[in-house]
Amino acid sequence: MNSRIKRAFDAVHAEESLKESTLAFLERRRKGGRVRQGWWAGQRLAMAACALLLALGIGGWWLYFTPTASISIEVNPWIELGVNRFDRVVSVEGRNDDGTALADTLDLRFMDCTQAVQTVLESERVSALLAADEVMAIGVIGSDATQCSRLLGQVETTAAASPNAYCYCADGQEAAAARETGLSCGKYRAYLALRELDPTITPEEVRAMSMRELRQRMEELSAGNSNDSTGGTVTGNGAAAGETAGGSGQNGWGGHHEEDHGHHGWAYGA
Amino acid sequence: MRSEREMAEAIQRYGDTVRRLCMVHLKNYADTEDIFQTVFLKYALTSVSFDSDEHEKAWLIRVTLNACKDLLKSIFRSRTVSLEELVEQPAQLSADHREVLEAVLSLPARYRDVVYLHYYEEYTAPEIARILGKNVNTVYTRLTRAKGLLREKLGGDGDE
Repeated sequence: MNSRIKRAFDAVHAEESLKESTLAFLERRRKGGRVRQGWWAGQRLAMAACALLLALGIGGWWLYFTPTASISIEVNPWIELGVNRFDRVVSVEGRNDDGTALADTLDLRFMDCTQAVQTVLESERVSALLAADEVMAIGVIGSDATQCSRLLGQVETTAAASPNAYCYCADGQEAAAARETGLSCGKYRAYLALRELDPTITPEEVRAMSMRELRQRMEELSAGNSNDSTGGTVTGNGAAAGETAGGSGQNGWGGHHEEDHGHHGWAYGA
Repeated sequence: MRSEREMAEAIQRYGDTVRRLCMVHLKNYADTEDIFQTVFLKYALTSVSFDSDEHEKAWLIRVTLNACKDLLKSIFRSRTVSLEELVEQPAQLSADHREVLEAVLSLPARYRDVVYLHYYEEYTAPEIARILGKNVNTVYTRLTRAKGLLREKLGGDGDE
């Protein structure tokens, strides 16, 4: 029986067609597997590339659109330009009604900050105010001293032709203190200087005054003090105001214009 | 995955064994084709390192039997089936071969494995026990009963 069973099974073979169809099946799977493997590899590569692009995009977007400093321009219209690390304007904000109206008429976004300041100075509204002897304060505010110093230099150069434009630099701490009083950095400095001369002055009064009115008020007060104390008081008050404002020669009210255009009386400590 | 050449060699070497096991267990040629392909796909993809040809053959037998059982578990099958449905060209088989194979196929499924592995592949009971994952005594019992049944069907002395 053993040999019969063995011979019987021996007569059974895998059909050639079965072998061929199996080989073809395996080949299809091999190709399919490769394709799928390639597909997955391609998918993974594409996903990695997308993730990288997204990261670069988000990173680039963040780098470009995050303001690292701001330029506060105040005549009566008060606008603030957000400046990124590449010294490009990435945001424009009107800080009062006139400022909002001015910002709406100007397209300053993505401009180089020098060009943006120039555009503001040359705008119909601002140039008319400056021609009417209004005073403009241009402040560079930020915590990066290197960038602020660079921006201040650029702003000073741009504003050099405007006799009533005063440039200053303020750090974040001073800007925060100014914000608490609801004043621009420029007015905040004026407020501190005025308070030295007239302790009754309030931030609300200062806020309601234009830059020129502030200058006039300071001139009046300092003139009064000079008359009362027979000289030397202006210098003394000026020094005190300058110290209170936290301003050095560079950071004080007058900025380069103090040197360029002489003593205006209110640029204490400059 | 093993290369096309390796697979062609493996099918050449083990195709008949797999085919016979399929015949023992499956009820039609289409299922045979499925299992045949499944077994060799598993072989193509396996990372098992075979110590010898014997090890490789035993692995294939085990995989084939498991694949057959899985297939049979998943669908309803009648207990018996004609040889015509199992072999693509049954006419090529002699009358004696047909009689023997039909006798084997008429055995309960649990006996067919041991009959094939013992009578054709010439594995010993302990080897069959290892391949099937069964107790050696169980294999002995099945072999004894299978021999008895075959003797009834085919006549003659079981061990001649």
